[in-house]
Amino acid sequence: MVVAPAARTWTGFTTAVRLGWAVSSNWTRPALFVIYAVLRPISTALILVVMYNVITGGRGNARTYLSFLIIGTAFWAFVNEGVSEFAVGILEDRGRFKMLKYAYLAPLRFPIFLVGRASSKLTSAAASVLIVLVVATVGLRLPISPLEVNYGLLAIACLLAFIAVMAFSIALSMILLAGRDAYGYGEIMAQVLYLFSGAIFPIAVLPGPLAFLASLSPLAYWLELTRRAILHGRVYEMFPNLSDGEVLLRLALATAGTVALGYLTYLWADRRARRKGYIDMDANF
Amino acid sequence: MNDRAEGARLFLKTIVARAYPRVVAANRQKSWVFFDLAFPLVGTFAMVFVYEGLHAPKQFLGFVVMGGAMLAFWQNVLWSMGAQFSWDRDNGTLELYAISPTTFEGVLLGMAVGAMFTTTIRGAAVLLIGSLLFGVSYSLSGILPAAGIFLLTLAALYCLGMLLASLFLFYSREAWHLSNALQEPVNFLSGLYFPVKALGAYVGGAASLIPLTLGLDAMRQVLLPGTPRFLSPGLETLAVAAQIPLFAFLAYSSLRFMEARARREGKLISKWS
Amino acid sequence: MGLGRVYKTRSETVTALDSVDLKIREGELFGVLGPNGAGKTTLIKILVTLLLPTSGTARVDGFDVVTEYRRLRPRISIVSGGENAGYGILKVREQLWMFSQFYGMPSGPARARIDELLERLGLADVANRQISGLSSGMRQKMNLVRGLMTDPRVLFLDEPTVALDVGAARDLRQEVGRWMEEDPTRTVILTTHYMQEADDLCDRIAIVNKGRIVIEGTPHSLKAEVQRDVVVDLQLEPGTPLLDRLREVEGVGAASVREEDGIDRFSLLLVDDGVLTNVISTVERSGRRVAGLAKRQPTLEDAFVKLVGRSMSEEEAN
Repeated sequence: MVVAPAARTWTGFTTAVRLGWAVSSNWTRPALFVIYAVLRPISTALILVVMYNVITGGRGNARTYLSFLIIGTAFWAFVNEGVSEFAVGILEDRGRFKMLKYAYLAPLRFPIFLVGRASSKLTSAAASVLIVLVVATVGLRLPISPLEVNYGLLAIACLLAFIAVMAFSIALSMILLAGRDAYGYGEIMAQVLYLFSGAIFPIAVLPGPLAFLASLSPLAYWLELTRRAILHGRVYEMFPNLSDGEVLLRLALATAGTVALGYLTYLWADRRARRKGYIDMDANF
Repeated sequence: MNDRAEGARLFLKTIVARAYPRVVAANRQKSWVFFDLAFPLVGTFAMVFVYEGLHAPKQFLGFVVMGGAMLAFWQNVLWSMGAQFSWDRDNGTLELYAISPTTFEGVLLGMAVGAMFTTTIRGAAVLLIGSLLFGVSYSLSGILPAAGIFLLTLAALYCLGMLLASLFLFYSREAWHLSNALQEPVNFLSGLYFPVKALGAYVGGAASLIPLTLGLDAMRQVLLPGTPRFLSPGLETLAVAAQIPLFAFLAYSSLRFMEARARREGKLISKWS
Repeated sequence: MGLGRVYKTRSETVTALDSVDLKIREGELFGVLGPNGAGKTTLIKILVTLLLPTSGTARVDGFDVVTEYRRLRPRISIVSGGENAGYGILKVREQLWMFSQFYGMPSGPARARIDELLERLGLADVANRQISGLSSGMRQKMNLVRGLMTDPRVLFLDEPTVALDVGAARDLRQEVGRWMEEDPTRTVILTTHYMQEADDLCDRIAIVNKGRIVIEGTPHSLKAEVQRDVVVDLQLEPGTPLLDRLREVEGVGAASVREEDGIDRFSLLLVDDGVLTNVISTVERSGRRVAGLAKRQPTLEDAFVKLVGRSMSEEEAN
């Protein structure tokens, strides 16, 4: 049957989203939802809260730093789901469900399938982000008010960041598909990004060369804009000398760089995976 | 040879045989450098930078580095002990253990011995690299007592791991969810990145059921003078030592229960059902 | 004796095994034949001490599987088809040594025995290869070495050749035969749904269906059940379904069908040659064209169809 390319792309994309949702979203199983959307992120946030309290005693101006920590760790769920969990999902498609080869061979372009899978991951992360923010607002009395959030800035920042995260994770998943025993590397990569993102500490704290590398990452600018959009003036800022527009410009440039680099990496890894014959490899899960 | 001596010989052989793949894997599977070294190291670095961002005293970096080293053990207990029987079930190995003359206790102890050996190397590497990079110094006089506390903590921790192995079998066919569930919450409750005293008496007391909590706190107290005291190191060590027979007994009872139920219901250890 | 097993869930109760009486003699290669879901695996699970029966008793090598399981376990061994047990990081020889230790074998003799069996099964060249790099045939041969190396009194083979190529399956069967010849007191209990495998290997066979033993005897005696019948292979080109109508023809004792290369191949058991005329008339009335017709010798499959009323694949589909 002949199907118009645009319609085919859209159908493929929505199918991939639904597949991701059906296979690995935890909404339908309350126990898993509690583990992944509540228990884990809240525990991580609590670790940071206790560390903060031990040092500052929770007093005075330091509370802007607590807001910095909480918003960073809450929104990190998007990266964790979009990179680490996404990579696990793709490797599961290959090794456990043995269906990746069919998606790869379908008339739909394979990256569209990957974008669909990544989108479902990012969507399922939203619950965990909201839960941590609500718990922190209520439990820690952070001055977050839904009425004062700059939703426009938040939406633009998140949109650009999601594009960057997808570009990164799609390239990463292709690299993992070009290898044999790839489980776990996605989690490690997410951890490495954590270091360079300014999620739980300002990137200026990093030693010189690492701080420079972090300044090239779109994640630091995204989290900065996210914090400003939610708590402008009442949160510690990593780039106090830059206006919102300047941070946004840097985010856009870093995202463009990530997409370009991700695309080249994808092409390279795709060739390697086909050369090695790993796309349909019966990998251990 | 009488039955008892024969049983003891089989038990020892089982421990050595089951420990063997783990020791071999450390040498053959180079990816452990990523999983068991890079992972705790990167996590440790992140927490060190959080303290640096808060302008914390240098001593706190020591808390984090020691916590990062012990994290390697906790992850190992969760994934290589707790979840292992579930993976063994899924590929049919657990059935072969079950119908062989050996005991699950021997198999689990072998798993623990192999895991302790390999993870000690990894934990030591995290401690060494972290301490050198962040200039953490330790009290020399505390090294010997810390080594003793470490061994007791390890014994209690892996007895807990043996308990988790059979408990995870009861839960479902997806034991890794349980490992995930116990990851961050235990990182928090055991005070991996801050002194346990910061949790307060009630939460800290409840968290003391995890051997990591008091063992790590006692080691910090003897190695990093000035560590806020939750309980005295002696008392904490005593509590950890008491957890060894407790968890060993619970692991034994749980295994017996699991075995009986598996034979009764035809599930739990079988990949067929 | 009277062996039964019932599985209960919240919504239903399933009888997997229903009052099974079976006596397997020492030194016998005994086949348990039946479709998937017939109760073969449940029977084996009980006999290897993995599962308790809900009724009846069973003894293996003289030991009660319920109360004396600890004494029984050193005397038995099991090899299952498609088995993936063990650790891929280990080499073939290492994995086998590991399992030998769970039986308390001294390391030296265990290694010698492993090498001997690896040689016999043509695996000597891969003895130092990691298990993750073995083909499925090699892997199953390694599993057989594991089953044999402890020298069990009773060896259970649960669908051991499933999904294997012809050569690997033949090697496995040959080795089992040789192993039994070495000591006439060794016993093998084989479950399979390959009729030919059971026919070739087994001294005696029990056909199991829906948790019950339908019949028990030598392959020859089972085939004798259909010896007086005329067995006909009727090949028809595609068309309207005909199986039920053929079964209704007077004188047709049993009928089954399988599709191969676009042709429906019917196996018919007729009381005598004369019935063939009625069969052909029925085919003509249906408008289907005959592609081939031949008489042949009865097989175990024919015996199964006659005894159960349907073919093994029909039973599995149900």
